[in-house]
Amino acid sequence: MEVVVQITFGVIAVFILVAAAMVVSVRNVIHAALWLIACFFGVGALYMLLEAEFLAVVQVLIYVGAVSVLILFAIMLTRQITGEGVRQLTNRWPVVLAIATLLFATVLAPTLINQQWNVPPAPPLGTPEPIAGPAELGRGFVNEFLIQFQVVGVLLTVALIGAIVIAYEERARRRKVLTLAEELELKRLREQTSPTVPAPVEAEPVVQESRSASER
Amino acid sequence: MMEPPFEIEIPRGRVIEVQRDDSRVRRGGGLLRGMAVIWKHWKESFRLNRSYSQIHGTFTIQYPEEKPRIPEAYRNMPILLYDDETGHELCTSCFQCERICPPQVIHMTQAKDPATGKPVPAVAEFIIEYDACMSCGFCAEVCPFDAIKMDHEFELSTDDHAQLTVHKAQLNRPISYYASIAPTMWAEVRESALKKLQGNIRRRPDVIGIAPHLTERIAARRAELAAQAAAPSPAAEPASPPAPSAPTEARKLTPEEKAAKLAAIRAAKAAQAGDGVTPSAEGGTPAEAPPADDKAARLAAIRAANAAKKAAATDAAPAATGEPTTPTPADDKAARLAAIRAANAAKRKQAADSVDTEEGS
Amino acid sequence: MYDILQALINGTFGWGWPDWLIYLISSLVVVTIILVVAPLQMLFFTYYERRVIARMQDRIGPNRVGPEGIWQPIADGVKMFTKEDIVPEAADRIVHFLAPCVVVAPTILMFAVVPWGPGMTPVDLPTSLLFFFAVSSISAVGLMMAGWASNNKFSLLGAMRAVAQMVSYEIPAVLSLIAIVMIVGSLSINSIIEYQAGLLISNRDLPGIPDLGLGWFVFTPVGFVAFIAFFIAALAEGERTPFDIPEADSEIVAGYMTEYSGMKFGLFYLAQYVLNFLLCAITAILFFGGWQGPGVNWLYAQAITPTNPDGNGLFNVLAGALGVFYFLLKTYIFFFVMVWLRGAFPRLRIDQLMDFGWKFLIPLTLANLFSAAVWVAFTRWGAAEGMLITVGWSPVLRWLAAFIITLAINIGVYLWLTQVYAASQAERRRVELEELSATL
Repeated sequence: MEVVVQITFGVIAVFILVAAAMVVSVRNVIHAALWLIACFFGVGALYMLLEAEFLAVVQVLIYVGAVSVLILFAIMLTRQITGEGVRQLTNRWPVVLAIATLLFATVLAPTLINQQWNVPPAPPLGTPEPIAGPAELGRGFVNEFLIQFQVVGVLLTVALIGAIVIAYEERARRRKVLTLAEELELKRLREQTSPTVPAPVEAEPVVQESRSASER
Repeated sequence: MMEPPFEIEIPRGRVIEVQRDDSRVRRGGGLLRGMAVIWKHWKESFRLNRSYSQIHGTFTIQYPEEKPRIPEAYRNMPILLYDDETGHELCTSCFQCERICPPQVIHMTQAKDPATGKPVPAVAEFIIEYDACMSCGFCAEVCPFDAIKMDHEFELSTDDHAQLTVHKAQLNRPISYYASIAPTMWAEVRESALKKLQGNIRRRPDVIGIAPHLTERIAARRAELAAQAAAPSPAAEPASPPAPSAPTEARKLTPEEKAAKLAAIRAAKAAQAGDGVTPSAEGGTPAEAPPADDKAARLAAIRAANAAKKAAATDAAPAATGEPTTPTPADDKAARLAAIRAANAAKRKQAADSVDTEEGS
Repeated sequence: MYDILQALINGTFGWGWPDWLIYLISSLVVVTIILVVAPLQMLFFTYYERRVIARMQDRIGPNRVGPEGIWQPIADGVKMFTKEDIVPEAADRIVHFLAPCVVVAPTILMFAVVPWGPGMTPVDLPTSLLFFFAVSSISAVGLMMAGWASNNKFSLLGAMRAVAQMVSYEIPAVLSLIAIVMIVGSLSINSIIEYQAGLLISNRDLPGIPDLGLGWFVFTPVGFVAFIAFFIAALAEGERTPFDIPEADSEIVAGYMTEYSGMKFGLFYLAQYVLNFLLCAITAILFFGGWQGPGVNWLYAQAITPTNPDGNGLFNVLAGALGVFYFLLKTYIFFFVMVWLRGAFPRLRIDQLMDFGWKFLIPLTLANLFSAAVWVAFTRWGAAEGMLITVGWSPVLRWLAAFIITLAINIGVYLWLTQVYAASQAERRRVELEELSATL
């Protein structure tokens, strides 16, 4: 069974790495987002492999179901989605690579050096069970991590209200989208109320043309 | 299976007011009311509904098995009518329909007298392009002779486009067919239509105007004409008032004199033009020109009865018994009927054996 | 399935196969059954819907292919298969190809946790309810892919609408489920079903109620409101008629399916109907007891189960058959209701949809959440949890108190919310009219 788990882990890990690499290397932004979703999936599978079912399911629910959709929405509102003719690398990319590798190594090296590569021994009796299931998580939220939980709640509420404030416009200032009929009516009314304003220049030839067409 | 025809009784005067922007708070009750309506429709739909005045029940007609009862005034594609009795088409090719047809799909050629080359009030060929016809019914409305009518037949689909250019042979329907699909509409125009037809028939020489597929009818008419042609020789032409009336008795709704003159002309014409065309009928018919009306009719009746022996045409007997007693228009009609029948029988007899005809004469 | 195969192979035949092989075989068998049943349900649902909606419109519906038209869906399927597969020239080919798969796969995955009868759950996850909704949210990505890859404005509009709708209505759906989860205290679909034993009152809330399998949640005030809210949200998730805005054919052709043809279109269609089946099924499971019904529990008690290994195998079959019958009956009734709603109501506008979801359903379900908390407090909590009022009350009294209080809360909130909602809508309409008259 151990072997199967190892193989599965290997497959999932490779999948995640490939997907992550594709996210940053693909030219098309939408494709990048889709690769990101694949990456999220891989992480979810990894959680499943670690028998943290709740986390796996929540990963799928929140990251795949909600966050990625928001990302897709945001991307679709941008331009140059296909990314054709956009340079992906600067001239000094080897420098960037070196710095990135250095930083990554700084973080990872101590871990790699200090890791014994052993599965930790079974915890001694009396240690609390690892938090995995929804019930334990819930208890954790309302007992141990109550303050953090409340702070996160307030933060999210503030974000929500902020979003509404940003998106909200005064009704009076909002530009109403008129239908064509309404626009024409408006134009006509304006012309009537302000006769000093000369008639729109482009309106004239159109009228003439249509008349000549009808005469013909 | 099918109950009485679709009857539509729409209750008039019930005004349903739909209020928009209703500001009352219904708390979902409006939705439930809407659902209740649909529930009733669903529940009632297991019942068959054949009345348009009810809103519940299934209206579906299982088409190929079940056919809708079509209202009389329904119009699909135009057809041409011909008279059952004489076989004459009602159309006189007056071109009214061709003129009014909005998509211009009606085409016709007028029949010409082969002898004189003059136009005859009958149609030689009549074509309607069914594929472009829009079933507006203008042709039927405008027709002064009620010759073109709108059919109820709607199964016109075909895999051959050319079939939708319909010629006269396929357009012809007997009057009885139209009377069966639209009885009241036909009853309204029947009298004037038939009257006009009688007038037109008199102006049609030879067999022009008879529906071409009615070969028997044409043969009988030819025989009749031949008889007419033969008649003037035994009976002197100027002293013929009673004599020519015998062949023309069939259409005698006009003054006697006029009919006689007409018959004389026609007989002469037939003598020169139609002679020798129908040699088969010649043998039996010469004897068929007696001077008196009643006698001719009776003779014909006997002949018909003879024929009936073989063909079991039992309705010849009433015709024979009814006519001599009452010299009314009905009598004329019966006589005409008998004559036609007799002619038919004669032809048949002629073909079969000559003994019977000798007996008859 | 694993138990049965284990008993059959190693017990009856005594072949002594290894565990993993039996596990593999049982999984394959279950997957095969699901893959056969899901399209069959879809086929049946298309026929069922067309017949029912026809009756509601005073028609007969498809009745030519086979007796009463029962083979009509098969004829449709054959037609789908033989149609040409067209991919637009300007489409993103790979994404266009992947989108139907991404839409169909989650709907089939959702079957994994649906219990068909007692002991007939393909995979009994402890978080199966959450799994169900997490997986269902994946199809939003597929819709987005379809809409974008088609390179068609109608597709993109449809996809945008679909995703906005799904994301918005997931919230009331999940909130109304949380109420149930709070009462049951578990995310497992099986324990939710087991909770609903009893007669009108669950015998977990009030011990001693005879078990007729009728202690459904819909008979409690909390469950009823949750049911209504959830069913409305399910209609929106399944893109059923009052909320079929994403594929509003009178506005945007067919939404995200516009550029699909042949079997790819068929896959979208399949996904949609399978999703509808699953939503009806989950409604039946959560609020109407799933396979619970008179007799099932009694039969299952006699059967071979992990807790009762000496039972009679015949009862397994009987309990399973009865359970599946109840389950499918409820599911089909809910689908009938879906069709009924389709027959009755016109399509909403997108702003009405959003208004209704965010300003009415979410507050209602939040209030219902509070009611659920009250329910749990009254029926289960004691002095240890700090619920001192009910100390010394009999279970009947506690249940009665919980029932009355939650009923009062829910009715009050409903009346208040409808009032406020209607007032706000009227006000909005008035302001819009005023604005229009001011501009003109």
